[in-house]
Amino acid sequence: MANLDIALKSAMSIDGAIGVALVDYNSGMTLGVAGGTGEIDLTVAAAGNTDVVRAKMRTIEMLNLNDEIEDILITLGSQYHLIRPVNSRTGKGLFLYLMVSKSRANLAMARHQLRTIEENLEL
Amino acid sequence: MSGQDNTGTILPRRTARPPEGMPPPRSLPPSLAGNPALPYPQIGQALAELRLEIPGVHGCVLGGVDGLMITHNMQTDVDPNDLAALAATTYGLGRQVGLRLGQGDFQQSTVRNALGYLSVYAVSAQALLAVVGADTINVARLHLHAPPVAERLAALLDGVTPTSWRR
Repeated sequence: MANLDIALKSAMSIDGAIGVALVDYNSGMTLGVAGGTGEIDLTVAAAGNTDVVRAKMRTIEMLNLNDEIEDILITLGSQYHLIRPVNSRTGKGLFLYLMVSKSRANLAMARHQLRTIEENLEL
Repeated sequence: MSGQDNTGTILPRRTARPPEGMPPPRSLPPSLAGNPALPYPQIGQALAELRLEIPGVHGCVLGGVDGLMITHNMQTDVDPNDLAALAATTYGLGRQVGLRLGQGDFQQSTVRNALGYLSVYAVSAQALLAVVGADTINVARLHLHAPPVAERLAALLDGVTPTSWRR
């Protein structure tokens, strides 16, 4: 089991990681961030992607799929953005947001590692 | 119920302390509320932008720190005059906290209730922006968007605020 700081640090150790944030999708506020660059404000990214998560959750609800999001992949020209809702009892209502460089990352590996981090996250 | 306390127990009382380090009472400039010189169309535009930009915002009220409403775009049947007064009350609390803790001027305060939010932002030394939102609102986005709007409102109000009162 890993606490927030350790989880964020291990997410940053994923190959090609640019930044990571743990976000509350009820408010859009971040519980913790790591990495990021001068141009990328992770709190802005968190607030914006909260709407992405909410929209998808609402869609699943409207389609009566009775299912949950495992993760969301957004592919940009030079980056991958991975969104992964936290499933633990203490982490309800949160999601992990990871930005990785497309040229330096192994997508399958990044996704696998993010899952491990999410499963071990203890708040 | 009689006002008399018959139990004989003496309740602890806080003795009044003379306020230390408090600024001297200030004489306030005339209220901004009802000032016909204000650029109402531009103010309305700034408020509308905030409502359009962030889903779940029910409306905004621009009020003075004196608790009087300047203008609003509330779409619900909540009385905007009440909201302006509530915003000023929130500001009063924030200002006292700032003074006591030496944390400077009031900037922002958010109240979250079971079914919604009320956020109050400082616009200038004289004005406040109150935003009412549903419980589903993305507060982080509101906190990112509202300060620039408050800044624009401050610039709009600045033109009609006497120079000696500018921040």
